Amino acid sequence: MSATARYMFAVARDLDVAQLSGARGFQGAALETVEHEGLAAVVCDVDLAEFGEEPLIRNLEDLDWVEHVARTHNDVVWRVAAVSTCAPLRLVTVCADDESVRDKVDSLRSGLEGVLDRIEGRQEWSVKVLVAPRSGGEPSPDTPATSGADYLRRKREASDRRRDLSVDAMRIAREVHDLAHAHAVASRRLAPQDPRLTGRPEAMVLNGAYLVEADARDAFEAAVHAAGEQHPAVTVEVEGPWPAYSFAVLE
Amino acid sequence: MSERTMAPARGGPPDRPVYGPAPSNLADVLERVLDKGIVIAGDIQVNLLDIELLTVKIRLLVVSVDKAAELGIDWWRTDPMLSSEAKDRELANENERLRARLRELESAPSENGQ
Repeated sequence: MSATARYMFAVARDLDVAQLSGARGFQGAALETVEHEGLAAVVCDVDLAEFGEEPLIRNLEDLDWVEHVARTHNDVVWRVAAVSTCAPLRLVTVCADDESVRDKVDSLRSGLEGVLDRIEGRQEWSVKVLVAPRSGGEPSPDTPATSGADYLRRKREASDRRRDLSVDAMRIAREVHDLAHAHAVASRRLAPQDPRLTGRPEAMVLNGAYLVEADARDAFEAAVHAAGEQHPAVTVEVEGPWPAYSFAVLE
Repeated sequence: MSERTMAPARGGPPDRPVYGPAPSNLADVLERVLDKGIVIAGDIQVNLLDIELLTVKIRLLVVSVDKAAELGIDWWRTDPMLSSEAKDRELANENERLRARLRELESAPSENGQ
């Protein structure tokens, strides 16, 4: 039997370990907590043959492995967030043993408390604005250009059209963001996502994350939906509530 | 795998939030678990991991920029609000303009003198 280590999923406050009974981490390992002065690190055993330094370097190059680990990690965070105030940890935080887990929590204690204070009673929402790719494309000319000047004129017109649409999309993205932000206590604009990962051809012009008070969710959702209806040229998508990943960041 | 028991059944505290379903979109999951959340340096060499994670991220998230450029939708590259690359380029351009101006001014007296 190979050596094991402790994989940390999250640090939580007000977590009753009984509420995690039956929950599993990797390879069917039970979720456990390591308590330290009112904070609880949610952990499970992992095999060093898979999560040791060298195997990790290999495994992190394997998208299927990364996806499986990411989804398992995410599922555990979801489960913990449902029953506590929970600061998710970044993927693959692996410690030698409980003693080491306790040391890490202790050394970051005030930062962790600060994060938990910030996200308590609040959730993360995602708002995306997408534009169909054709709207930015060039209409294919049905007649060939009659001259060099004609060719250049067409190029310029296509580029102007594209710019107008881009400027519009950008303006809408900013409008939607400002509106969502007005109903949130904090917000972040994340990088647009790869169409191969989203499985959609549209270009993403807004990928926003918003930290919203639990009792402001209806107003937030209504405002974003209304913004979507005002701008039929784009698709506005809102998802949530999610655990506050994007706002659980140590300074 | 994704069975989640929602908050403490009936008897639990009523004020606990009920979360929506976990995103099925892999990009949403990855950008959060790889890029966000608390960073604690574990006992497994994290510097090394950062580099490896970075290659995964670049492959997954940055590729979209080239893809979009291919589609002719690359305007955010030049919008300083959206792109740090654009911000850098803006600075580089300004630098270049200032240098050119400086060269012009420095060469001016000798031209006048002739």
